[in-house]
Amino acid sequence: MSERRVRIGIDTGGTFTDVVAVDEETGHTTTTKTPSTPADPAEGFLNGVRKVLDLMGLDGSAVTAVSHGTTVATNQLLEGKLDRIGFITTEGYESVLEIARQSVPDGYGNSYFWVKPPRIVPADLVRTVRGRLDHTGVEVRPFHEDDARSAARFFRDAGISTLGVCFLHAYANDAHERRMLEVIREEHPGAVVSISSQVLREYREYERSVTTLVDAAVKPKVSAYVTNIRTRLDEIAPDVPFYVMKSNGGVLSAGEVVHQPITTMLSGPAAGALGAALIAGTAGFDRVLTCDGGGTSTDVTVVIDGEPALTTEGSVGDYPSKIPMIDVVTVGAGGGSIAWLSPEGTLKVGPRSAGADPGPICYPDGGNEPTVTDAHVVLGRIPPHLLGGEIPLSTDEATAGLRRLGAKLDMDLERTATGILEISAWNQANALRQVTVAKGLDVRDFTLTTFGGSGSLLACRLMDILGLPRTLVPPNPGNVSAFGLLTVDVRNDYVQTVVSKHVDLDVARVQSVFADLEAQAQAALDGEGFGRDAQRMQRTADLRYVGQAFEVRVPVPDGRLDAEGSETVAQAFHAAHRQLYGYDFATDPRQAVEWVNLRVSGIGPIRRPDLVELQARDGGTDRAVTGSRRVFFDDWVDTPTYNRPDLGPGDVVRGPAIIEEFGSTVPVHPGFAVTVDAHGNLLLTKEAGQ
Amino acid sequence: MTNAQKVDADPILVEIVAGTLAAIEKEVETSIGRTSRSPMIRDAHDFRAGIHDRQLRKLTGRSYSALVHPVVRDYPIETMNVGDVYFHNDVYLSEGGIGHLPDLCVTVPVFAANPETDQPEVVAFIQAFGHHDDIGGAVPGSMPSAATSVYEEGLMVPPIKLWDRGVPNESALKIMTRNSRMPDSLAADLDAECSACLAGARRLGELFERYGVAAVEACFEAILTSSTEVYRREILSQIPDGSYVWEDYAEHDGVDEPQLHRQRITLTMDSSKDVPLVIDFTGTGPQAKGPINHCGDYADGNFLKKWLAPILRNLAETPERMAQLDVNEGVVPLIEMRFPEKGTLLTPIFPAPTNARTFVILRLLGVLAGVLAKATGGRMPADQETIRYTGVYGTDSGGEPYLMREVLGGGSGGRYYADGEDTIHVVPDSRNLPTEFTEGRFPLRIERLGLALDSGGPGRYRGGCGYEKHIRVLRDAHFMSIADRSILACWGVKGGKAGQPFQVTVDPGGPDEHDVDALADAEPLTAGTVVRIRTTGGGGWGDPLDRPVEEVLRDIAWRKVSVAGARADYGVVVREDGSADEAATEGLRREMRELRTGEEPFFDRGPGYATLSGGATFNEFDVL
Repeated sequence: MSERRVRIGIDTGGTFTDVVAVDEETGHTTTTKTPSTPADPAEGFLNGVRKVLDLMGLDGSAVTAVSHGTTVATNQLLEGKLDRIGFITTEGYESVLEIARQSVPDGYGNSYFWVKPPRIVPADLVRTVRGRLDHTGVEVRPFHEDDARSAARFFRDAGISTLGVCFLHAYANDAHERRMLEVIREEHPGAVVSISSQVLREYREYERSVTTLVDAAVKPKVSAYVTNIRTRLDEIAPDVPFYVMKSNGGVLSAGEVVHQPITTMLSGPAAGALGAALIAGTAGFDRVLTCDGGGTSTDVTVVIDGEPALTTEGSVGDYPSKIPMIDVVTVGAGGGSIAWLSPEGTLKVGPRSAGADPGPICYPDGGNEPTVTDAHVVLGRIPPHLLGGEIPLSTDEATAGLRRLGAKLDMDLERTATGILEISAWNQANALRQVTVAKGLDVRDFTLTTFGGSGSLLACRLMDILGLPRTLVPPNPGNVSAFGLLTVDVRNDYVQTVVSKHVDLDVARVQSVFADLEAQAQAALDGEGFGRDAQRMQRTADLRYVGQAFEVRVPVPDGRLDAEGSETVAQAFHAAHRQLYGYDFATDPRQAVEWVNLRVSGIGPIRRPDLVELQARDGGTDRAVTGSRRVFFDDWVDTPTYNRPDLGPGDVVRGPAIIEEFGSTVPVHPGFAVTVDAHGNLLLTKEAGQ
Repeated sequence: MTNAQKVDADPILVEIVAGTLAAIEKEVETSIGRTSRSPMIRDAHDFRAGIHDRQLRKLTGRSYSALVHPVVRDYPIETMNVGDVYFHNDVYLSEGGIGHLPDLCVTVPVFAANPETDQPEVVAFIQAFGHHDDIGGAVPGSMPSAATSVYEEGLMVPPIKLWDRGVPNESALKIMTRNSRMPDSLAADLDAECSACLAGARRLGELFERYGVAAVEACFEAILTSSTEVYRREILSQIPDGSYVWEDYAEHDGVDEPQLHRQRITLTMDSSKDVPLVIDFTGTGPQAKGPINHCGDYADGNFLKKWLAPILRNLAETPERMAQLDVNEGVVPLIEMRFPEKGTLLTPIFPAPTNARTFVILRLLGVLAGVLAKATGGRMPADQETIRYTGVYGTDSGGEPYLMREVLGGGSGGRYYADGEDTIHVVPDSRNLPTEFTEGRFPLRIERLGLALDSGGPGRYRGGCGYEKHIRVLRDAHFMSIADRSILACWGVKGGKAGQPFQVTVDPGGPDEHDVDALADAEPLTAGTVVRIRTTGGGGWGDPLDRPVEEVLRDIAWRKVSVAGARADYGVVVREDGSADEAATEGLRREMRELRTGEEPFFDRGPGYATLSGGATFNEFDVL
């Protein structure tokens, strides 16, 4: 029996399942990857656990916890046919899903030709119940038991066993929804049910309805997925704590996930952002842009002081979701993004991707449309093989493909290839601007952290376009998402809409709502095994100027809230508004402030892995040089190639240079230099005078 | 390199510039949308940002926008300074870019250094306008439906310098806020627009600094040229050469009795010409006494060309392609507009009122769609009408006055490839008001927000349904409505039938049940009363008797068509158990076909038309 204790993070992607294990004592990490098994993701998951344990010479008894994140599984849930689900709502609102918010996407006049995507519940599977509350939760008309019973029986008789319930103003009073749930339990005991007051206690009936229905729709499958893995995991490490990543940047125990499945949607990007932020924070950078480049797309986020920016205006597939999630902007600019000519005759890159199959032209049995990866290989920016040499790439095929495209534009090979990369870089740059500028942040104050297979390839161009001071490339950039899973705390979010003008604010009521929300958060964390001393409560409130439709979230002080504390919150709102939009009305008494939502996040801290400092290496950087090849930057130039594992702290590599490691490459353009820091991160900067 | 020197556009840079323009436009609009107060801006999204080059050409393509022409007319470009912000809302001095006074328009010049002199000079403009709550005038909301002159409609501000070199003109702001019933939100909306445009101008300036004025301007040229060529190649090529005439009508001007306020288009296509498309408005009816006039005949119809061009997109190969096509200044060189003499609905004489000009310019979209349907044998969508203003105002329990006003969309017309959609809106991202917002803010209870049964025009492809909304006032209040299409309907085409018109009923099913005129400033409502609003259904496309029976049954299950409607409109006989009686259906459909004369018009205008036309059910232009 081993004395060593390890925690394991597993990130299931479309092609590979990435695995990271951290030694609880030494902080050393061991990484590996294994092919994903889409037919039964548990298979790849278990293979990953076994593989990493074998590498470390350990068995299941050494495992202290397993954390899991995936976008793929959830995406498959969405793409696959959703079960037929039923919707029960307030009388008079049977068409709330048909009507939505009346908005037509994109351009003016699109209303003439736009075809609405199918609703999450077809109109014949909607039933209504009499009974009405007002916005303060006061009952206006009583709940109608007979309607409720007949709705429940309708779905039972129709064989519909997944149901969502959303009644008007249930965020203010959940009595009618709870009674509806009881009636369903009596009449249709086998049904899986989500009620809006448990999913999202926030006003706006359409958005809350859809969020509730998505929760209901994915509940059976998420539950089956998690239960399957839990069962199989018990074969290796019985009863080991098993956590699943949430889109809000926390994790949740598997047992709890099945009660709030929607919170785990889109969790993959969250883990990567948090992992990158921890690494950058340890390296001394607290304002971080993360750029996770994959095969089909690039995810970018902003993280300040370790806290990722959250949004409640995200969506899951076609459906809006008001559940808090890390504000990730995804651009269709990855390695497989296809370069093509629009009907207007201009060069476009993405969002269509060649993916892994058929893949770029240069892949064995690759596709026939040129991609970003083809441009990189033609210019020599990446080696003519993948994964340390396992898969050869054909520069000749890629060259021929790019020449064909370039001929249509009357551009030579190099111009075509650099042009494709330049457009791809600008697509990423616009996304990076979007996550910062839209929040009133100056992109130039941030350290770019690049990871994923293709994340670092355009780093020098992004620094140039955006005026960024530096880029940090963590070690094992392909494993940052899996590593990130080991860095996050258990976290649950609770919200209650309480609309009140600041001047009329009933501070005692606010205090009591916060107390209620905190009690819920504590109960959940108790259940997760966190002692009260370890639990941390984070209060925030959403405020706006009276008349605005959007709110700004600001922190609320701990402890008993008094008039002074509420004034602090209002002042924080003015300041945040100025930061976001460039102006505020702090000194204008005519512009009233309004409180809208009160929120509590309950956090159960998990021990974060310590990052290990590396030993400096003897000799110069020549020890890492593996050779040289012709690479095109501004012109063709002989460029040395370095093996990253042979670089050590303090080493400096000046461009032009190519730094290679398993699964990732960093092209260092002329005028840029790389310094290796104590933890083995590459710090890319522009050299003075360039 | 001098600014005037032409350079060839770099194809890579063109894509970068186009992407950045789209990103800036989105940033400006997002910022305004999030910070403004007026429900018309915030929820109905009645605001637009646009980026224009220094030749005043609109570069971005998601939407229409106002014009820079009036600003430059009064403040020549060479007199502009960094930090200037220009403002106007004066319809008659807007060159046709502003349609009514509540649209407050802010223009910010973008500067970049001239490489020869190193002095900043104007290279582009960021502009935004938004429909503010109130700019004074005879009634709250500044849209008096019975106005007979622009002086009743609010404060007119010709182009002025609102900020001079970074310093706001406090005097101008004082005058404007003093004239509004909602001075605080007016000030806030203006701040939102100015801040957003200034930020956009800084960002666009950076693009010029990075690549140089000549290179970026070459990209602008390439973007516009490519747009021109795409419309010529993919869109105009679908219109057979020839001349086509059609007309449609607004029904009501708020002053005179309802009548046919005619808008006519004679469309002439000549593919051999450099300017292949002529849109001639001759035959358009006289200027109305009431506020439905639109100042169209300025700047060679520049505003209307870009306002109408999105309709052309329906001629593209597929709906996906339609959505890809931008409408920027590139469409302008393809279209010549000819206007009738002064004194018509489209050429009003100052100070004719204009606040409800929406009716006329929305109708123009329909007239163009109709004339193109004639030209292409029906390869166009049937009619839709999606803008009307309805609202309730009074005082709340705290004695504070309130105005709940919203824009409720309607059903879109059937298309040759799909049914019309329910409750949509022509303005991108326009939103209805959530009940949970409305009830929290106003002394109202929204008893029902549903679809108006049977409102969609019958057709092989059914028109979309309009809203049915029931508002109960909890305190005494007044109801207001500014709506067209309450007598006339959204037309059906190629055998499709018209949708149902707009209708407002007080106390439906109760002792005081009565309809309210579609143009109403102050219908009194006593506490507890329900007012029911039904908005327009879209027109149908193609013969309803060709609609597959299972689609009609699905419409019944989805509460969009009644059993009676299925029988009367589609000839589908439904049994008690909800299934179709195939034999009876076949028989009924045969009978209905036999009753036809074979001389039915190409367009169906609905029963209301005869009440205004002197009994005729169609006119000479409605047949092929």
